[in-house]
Amino acid sequence: MKRTKSLAAVACVALISTLAACGGDGGGGGGSTPSDQKFEEAGAGFAKVADAEGPAPEIEGAATGGDVTVYVPLDEGPEDLDPTNGWSVLGNSIQQALTHRSLTQYRKNDESGEMELVPDLATDLGTPNDDFTEWTFTVRDDVKWETGDPITPEEIKYGIERSFDSETFTSGPGQVYSVENIDCGDGYAGPADGDCSGITVEGQDITIKMVKPFPDMDFWGSFMAIGPIPLENSDFPAYGRKPLSNGPYKISEFRPTESLTLVKNDQWDPATDPARHQYVDSWTFKFNQDQQKTDQILLSDSELSSTAISYRLGASNATDLKSKLGDNYIQQTGQCVSYRAPDYTKITDINVRKAIAWAYDFDNVTLAGGNIPGVTRIPASTLMPPGMSGRKEYFPDGEQFTYQPEKAKQLLEEAGQTGMTLTYVYDDSDATLKAAAEAEKKGYEAAGFKVEMIPYQEDYYALYDDKDSDINKRLNLRNVNWCSDWPSASTMIPPLVQAGQPYNTAFFDEPDVQKAIDDIATLPAEEQPTAWGDLDEMIGTEYFPLIPLAYRNELYGAGASIGNFNGDGAMSSINFKDLFVTQ
Amino acid sequence: MSLPPVSSETLGHLSDEAPQAPEAGKGKGPVKSQSPLQIAFGRLRRDKVAVACAVIVLFFVLIAIFAGVIANAVGVETGPGSPATELDYLGDGMPLNGPPHYGFDPNHPFGISPSTAEDNLAQWLYGCRTSLTVAALSTIVASLIGVTMGLLAGFLGGIADRIISFVTDLFLTLPYILIALIIAPILNERFALKPDIYPQAQLWSLVAILAGFGWMSVARLVRGEVLSLREREFILSAEVIGMPTRRIMLRELLPNLVAPIVVAVSLMLPAFIAAEAALAYLGIGITQGESWGQTISQATKYFKTYPLYLWEPLIGIVVLVVALNLLGDAIRDAVDPKTRR
Repeated sequence: MKRTKSLAAVACVALISTLAACGGDGGGGGGSTPSDQKFEEAGAGFAKVADAEGPAPEIEGAATGGDVTVYVPLDEGPEDLDPTNGWSVLGNSIQQALTHRSLTQYRKNDESGEMELVPDLATDLGTPNDDFTEWTFTVRDDVKWETGDPITPEEIKYGIERSFDSETFTSGPGQVYSVENIDCGDGYAGPADGDCSGITVEGQDITIKMVKPFPDMDFWGSFMAIGPIPLENSDFPAYGRKPLSNGPYKISEFRPTESLTLVKNDQWDPATDPARHQYVDSWTFKFNQDQQKTDQILLSDSELSSTAISYRLGASNATDLKSKLGDNYIQQTGQCVSYRAPDYTKITDINVRKAIAWAYDFDNVTLAGGNIPGVTRIPASTLMPPGMSGRKEYFPDGEQFTYQPEKAKQLLEEAGQTGMTLTYVYDDSDATLKAAAEAEKKGYEAAGFKVEMIPYQEDYYALYDDKDSDINKRLNLRNVNWCSDWPSASTMIPPLVQAGQPYNTAFFDEPDVQKAIDDIATLPAEEQPTAWGDLDEMIGTEYFPLIPLAYRNELYGAGASIGNFNGDGAMSSINFKDLFVTQ
Repeated sequence: MSLPPVSSETLGHLSDEAPQAPEAGKGKGPVKSQSPLQIAFGRLRRDKVAVACAVIVLFFVLIAIFAGVIANAVGVETGPGSPATELDYLGDGMPLNGPPHYGFDPNHPFGISPSTAEDNLAQWLYGCRTSLTVAALSTIVASLIGVTMGLLAGFLGGIADRIISFVTDLFLTLPYILIALIIAPILNERFALKPDIYPQAQLWSLVAILAGFGWMSVARLVRGEVLSLREREFILSAEVIGMPTRRIMLRELLPNLVAPIVVAVSLMLPAFIAAEAALAYLGIGITQGESWGQTISQATKYFKTYPLYLWEPLIGIVVLVVALNLLGDAIRDAVDPKTRR
């Protein structure tokens, strides 16, 4: 799942939440400083509770009412709300928690603090056949859209078919997980190609045939991208502006890059939902906020601040924020990594790519970008983040990349490329992002690169995906920030290195890597993690197409009236499902 | 920026009756003939406030011109420092040397910025250059447009006057901040692929915006002056002897307008400096390179812990603007006959 554009130079790691670790520092007291904070590694997997039933367990001390405002600094938010297109950490964590249900979902176990996979629109987590080539889900018959119409298995089938349409939904996850796994026939590209014969509906049952064993279908089922879509009046892009909700909240207003307002959906029945609550009256998400102003709102004692949530706390105020917010200051793990992606078709020499890695001034770029080295970001070496099963610790160039301009210079000289120009985009309208880009430039220049920074203020991923853009054609250094979609390297490596994938921003394309990915799918499930680890090492040492910059943690904060504020390790985000406002 | 129209008595004219210099001794020796501007300059020189302000302005002008030399001499440079080694990032993010927690740091006389560890002195010096460059260019462009429009409107009259007056009024109603907000992203897109000239494009667009919305007061002032002057005998006689219009405007009218123009210009400069900083604070002015407004917008966030960071650019702007304003007032007084002693 993509991380947002702006956190560009940054990456995070971490996955499954160890809530104990996240939520924190017990007393959350005034004396503590970030210096006793450490980077936290994610756990390795989720429990599955197939028989979980609604309503969701009551949260101790929860109250209903209140209006919550979530400030989202340095992120423009989703471009549209079409569930099929949803493949970003922010968009999915909001929509899947509050407005859009799918076959399965995650729930935070109140006692252990761990995330667990539970049913959502389906009555259980699905029934696979022996070799995981066919999955059957039974859809609840008591779930409704915000209009009061029932949600039917046909609508889920239509949703899955729609996820095949990678032409329309250029940034959707279906183009990896649906296209690679679900058997709709060769070249099937969505409802325009007619009915998908691999998905059959019988009564409330929906049966999905796979092209190859797909044991992770229950995880994939948690994505709103294969949730229900109304058969009528659901054409993109109009539907993406105001999709029908079926969760506890519905969309009241959506202003792209500015705000999203959600209000209660009275057609949602808590008895049908094992994980979501409807404590809060309304949610307002404000995108593209100023980092420092958001911090100041939380530090102030105004009426406004008590029900405010920050989706990203600034490093420079971390000490103050931690003592002020106490338990509502959380450090969330997630299996997230930031990469620099040198254009594989333009920077063809592996030594130049290594030189870029040695010339990346990790500490200074991290700090200038508003993150804390060693706490919210640690230097990365492998494609797979720590905590992911099968991960093999290796170093693409023999040892951990650190900032060594001399070494970079030498590599560059050996490659005969001294004075080579690196071209990347940066957002000159935001002081923090600009500062980080300039710190990075300084590091590259010290290593003998020339740097050309192109000011660009819109979504980077949309730019990278635009093959006709003159700016994009000019770039030779892009970036990508990625979080696993579920705890498996199959959600980490293929989206980043397969040819044609929208988040393969390096345009990496090697047949033997593609072949290795295909081969892994044929292995028994228990051998796959190790095979992914080996493939990671093979890619890193032989091709080194992506420069892993950092593994990521995120800092979130909330005002004093926000109750049960904690992180969601499955989404690498805030757990919006269980939040309430104390009355 | 409006100012009372200067009455015609003030203005030098091309007639042969030279005004008497007030300071000329009573009947002692021949009376030295002086132009009105010379008189005004003489009065200005004896105004202590004006002289002090002129020195301050000169000081800033020198800083702007020699920003690079000074920065090199002190050994500071713009661009990011090394936050990892120079800031206490696990504590409160403030510098490990120098203000706000420690004493003077000779390597960074003005301290360094939080978060980027950029040298404050270097930012300040180059910010001064940006401020004055933008203000000076805008003033020149605005006065050129204003004077031309005013002369044409006032002297030609009729339909030309009506059109120009309409345009003037139209521009007075347009909100310049809004226009600036619109132009910034357009420019960004247009020049994105030419990062080499992007900073210049930004500078000139800012000048265009400031001048484009600053010329109207000059135009109105000049038009008013011309309307009264063109009925005077020396203009009428010039017309009678068949002088070309262009020549009348440039040789007869313009010299008589020097005083009000100088006053208008001297009051325009500080207004533009303040406007440049305000736009930079909003993030729509100069984002390439240094700017006081930009530094202020970053520094407000640290005001509680690191007030000096905010005070530096703020004092720079306030002192420069106040000095320019007082100087402008003094110039107006000096050329105003009503204050003639």
